[in-house]
Amino acid sequence: MARVAVVQIPGVNCEYETARALEVVGLTARIVRWNEPASVWSEFDAYVIPGGFAFQDRIRAGAVAAKLPAVDRIAAEAERGKPVLGICNGAQVLVEAGLVPGLHPGRVEMALAPNRAPRREGYLCRWSWLGVTPGPGSSWYARNVRPGQVIPMPIAHGEGRFLTADPEVQERIEIENLVLYRFVAPSGGRAVRYPFDPNGATLQAAGITNRAGNILAFMPHPERATWLRQVPLELKNAWGESRRAAVGNWEALEGPGPGRILFQSLASNLLSPSAEGARPGREARS
Amino acid sequence: MQQLDNAHILPLSGQDEQALAKLLQREGLRLTPGEARRMLELLGRDPTRVEATIFDTMWSEHCSYKSSRWVLKAHLPVESPRVILGPGEDAGVVRLGVHQGVEYALVIAHESHNHPSQVVPTEGAATGIGGIVRDVACMGAEVIGVLDALRFGDPDGPRAAPVREIVRGVVDGIWQYGDALGVPNLGGDVFFSPRFDENCLVNVVSLGLVRADRVVRSRVPEAASREPYVLILVGKPTDETGFGGASFASAVLEENAEGQRGHVQVPDPFLKRVLLEANRAVLEWLHHEKVAFGFKDLGAGGIACASSELAAAGGFGMDVDLDRVPASREDLPPEVLACSETQERFAMVVPERVAERVLDFYNKTYALPEVYHGARAAIVGRVRPDKHYRILKSGQPVGDALVEVITAGIEHRRAERPRATAPPAEPLPPVEDHEAFFTRMVGRPNLASREPIFRYYDTEVQGRMLIRAGEADASVLAPVPGSKLGAAITVDGNPWWVAADPYWGTAHIVAEALRNLVAVGSEPVALTDCLNFGNPEDPEVFADFVRSVRGLGDAARALGPEGPSGPPVAIVSGNVSFYNESRSGRSIEPSPIIAGLGVFDDVSVATTFGIKRAGSVLVLSGPRQDRLGASQLRHALTGKTDGPLPELDFDRERRRIHATLDAVRSGCVLAAHDLAEGGLAIAALEMALGGYEAQGIGMQIPISGLGSTRPESRLYSEAPGFLYEVAKEHLQQFLGLFERWGVDVTMTGRTLAEPRFRILDGGHTLVDLDLESVQRIHADALKPLAE
Repeated sequence: MARVAVVQIPGVNCEYETARALEVVGLTARIVRWNEPASVWSEFDAYVIPGGFAFQDRIRAGAVAAKLPAVDRIAAEAERGKPVLGICNGAQVLVEAGLVPGLHPGRVEMALAPNRAPRREGYLCRWSWLGVTPGPGSSWYARNVRPGQVIPMPIAHGEGRFLTADPEVQERIEIENLVLYRFVAPSGGRAVRYPFDPNGATLQAAGITNRAGNILAFMPHPERATWLRQVPLELKNAWGESRRAAVGNWEALEGPGPGRILFQSLASNLLSPSAEGARPGREARS
Repeated sequence: MQQLDNAHILPLSGQDEQALAKLLQREGLRLTPGEARRMLELLGRDPTRVEATIFDTMWSEHCSYKSSRWVLKAHLPVESPRVILGPGEDAGVVRLGVHQGVEYALVIAHESHNHPSQVVPTEGAATGIGGIVRDVACMGAEVIGVLDALRFGDPDGPRAAPVREIVRGVVDGIWQYGDALGVPNLGGDVFFSPRFDENCLVNVVSLGLVRADRVVRSRVPEAASREPYVLILVGKPTDETGFGGASFASAVLEENAEGQRGHVQVPDPFLKRVLLEANRAVLEWLHHEKVAFGFKDLGAGGIACASSELAAAGGFGMDVDLDRVPASREDLPPEVLACSETQERFAMVVPERVAERVLDFYNKTYALPEVYHGARAAIVGRVRPDKHYRILKSGQPVGDALVEVITAGIEHRRAERPRATAPPAEPLPPVEDHEAFFTRMVGRPNLASREPIFRYYDTEVQGRMLIRAGEADASVLAPVPGSKLGAAITVDGNPWWVAADPYWGTAHIVAEALRNLVAVGSEPVALTDCLNFGNPEDPEVFADFVRSVRGLGDAARALGPEGPSGPPVAIVSGNVSFYNESRSGRSIEPSPIIAGLGVFDDVSVATTFGIKRAGSVLVLSGPRQDRLGASQLRHALTGKTDGPLPELDFDRERRRIHATLDAVRSGCVLAAHDLAEGGLAIAALEMALGGYEAQGIGMQIPISGLGSTRPESRLYSEAPGFLYEVAKEHLQQFLGLFERWGVDVTMTGRTLAEPRFRILDGGHTLVDLDLESVQRIHADALKPLAE
């Protein structure tokens, strides 16, 4: 049994569906409040900070939450090799906490800036297309992804543009393949324009890991694409075809959607019997 | 009984009409002199300031329904086997179905927030969402969606600049509040008309999910006769914001409405989210411990109205101690503490023995005081076994009356004068170049894609969504995790139809709402209404109102599955918003806005209106008509919105609706779309384009022989009907099904492998356009407004 803490920071609002998505891949999820006793955090094997508007995104998205003692505890567990996934607002928290990309752990090296696209500012809710570039995070978060596979998933954010002012940081994340997930065109090719590049992020980044690969800051919402029923009927590509073919078939609709692959990857690491002591995060650190 | 402190008394008795009117105005009260006398009669003495403020709020049109109540009671069907709780509380409750031995219910509420949104659009719209969410939450439900129906002025008219600013502000308010709260937007509609230039409409609907055995009532429970009960106030510290809001909503907007900003409440979705989480834990615990309790949101009239209504509904009295109310400042006068409409607050009545435990949930477990400055839960009152309702300040009563005096209500019988019959509408000029005209229609504000607006709304949070706003005629979700039970919801209204004919226009709106529900495959089970009209003291406005309500009631009875002899589609909740008129005398078009709620036993059948494949057959039900009054076509050609509405035959429409439901449920329809604004031409185009992603499948539609004499009316008639996409292999089954319902259908085209949109009439090609180019016009038209 692998236990995952879904961290409930005040203002977070995706904790329930995120917990359900973790449960459906065989993990045991518990929603843990930010102010629970400090001793509680070490009991878990993995941590997910879900989406929302933690502390109202005061100052900057994720900035206040990043200073919570609970986040320090989670960072300490990550240091021991446990995986930490931040989704959307959770990603913003991880970046503001200096955990991603974490070249110099604790230093804030990137920001999630307001979306930038021609004639389109502010919050944006739509489906996007993702591709994977193998890197240190592959094993934890993209284990079952085939090369060239295009994964549709929805985004919903106003500040999702990964950005750094430091050319060295940019160079390192590029050379070390820390951009695990990036926005692509539906064909799998580079996203050169809106809406395939929905927010103007550096390197079209949708998800960036730390060097060890056990921490992922991920802007799209895999928990909104974990069941086939969540896929829009009009989505193009094979996922849309499966969705249309499943009209009238509840069992098929309760089956996996494209975003489940991320949770499955996490689960297969946490649940594999050989995982103890040989988790990819630890390997990368050794 | 203690003496009321003289300092707080308003000396109203013994004044003549003029002096009384002046006095009321000076005190900022909107009570009429006649109403003030009635208050004196009920109290048997002069009121305190607090009491006068309570009456002012409770007797506002917004809270009292003083002009409308008898009309609603006379005409609207509110009961059916589906209904658990009809109008009367904060929201209606309807059966959803049973999953794993537990019965679930849907909760729905519908309100307006028009005046605040006109004055401060972002905060006004946001607090509209905030308020409607509380109405659903206080029934013990989890809030699972919101919708908004918006009516704006002419974005290209003489007041284009302020109108555009209001559009932008309202959309911002909706997304900023709803997205942060974590409640998905289930859609809504947008309509532009010059008569909303100075009075926009922001109607909001909220949907909730609750176990049927855990519906919470807004009243002191009967158990309070056996043990002591206390009143807990939880949420934001009380401040002066929104003082007098209900009365503000019940008066004509001032010329310079800027000065009325103080009446608008201040939204805080963050605190609301934390409160909803804490409520979830508290309610779960109370249910688990089998504690009887009452729960109510604080809206109009603040603490005074919520506490007196809780007491009165249970047949009890109450003492409320204003000294114990957590406040933002120490010097707030008692009437402000008692009646301000500070947002993000709830009131709960629980047995005294569990009160500390409940406070701990809020103040310690969810740490309200740490998370938000000044927020907390506090005991602020005590239930009395008699029916005395008292408000105390510094140990002195500042209000003291029997609850039935406060909640006695008031009624006005308003005069009605039907409008003079309009002269016959001038005939329409013919359309010379159909393709150019169609291209223009596609980009008109009332027909263009809503995508630029919808993209700001989080439509997927909570993970329950199957069909998002804009992808189909109604949004569809699976409310109970793991269950195939489903719900669909839509909101509709066309002010031009109702202005042209209040009775039939409203009936058409009901029919449209039901068509939207069955087009996705859901069974219609309930309606809610928000009736937005001008000044009810104007006999013509009031005549419009009465006719509109009659049309609503008749349609709801006639369009149930068995017609008027069977159960209706019950109206379970609603709201009346009068005085939608600016000082300059411009009244809005009469605007009933109707939400429809549908359910599925198996939500997997739900489908969208987007075309699914090439080579299928397009079928039309509902003959086209030459009656083109109040149509988008008429407005485009003449700038007018008068003329006769299409005929609506209730019995035919009922059969058409229920045949469609059968067809979608049985899987013999690939796509179904309601015909409404813009008629067949626009509906067909929307099917070809899909909600957001065109599939690149074209269509060809021959329109000769569709029941009307002119190509313009065949294309743009807004007569009721549907357009269906049917796979060839299902055509026989489909036709057989409609024959059994006695509904005529006409095969009217096919889908194409090439991305062309083509309309043919006899030997002529009227329209032949590349899908991508027409999509750009449709999708981009509202961008400059929304961005």
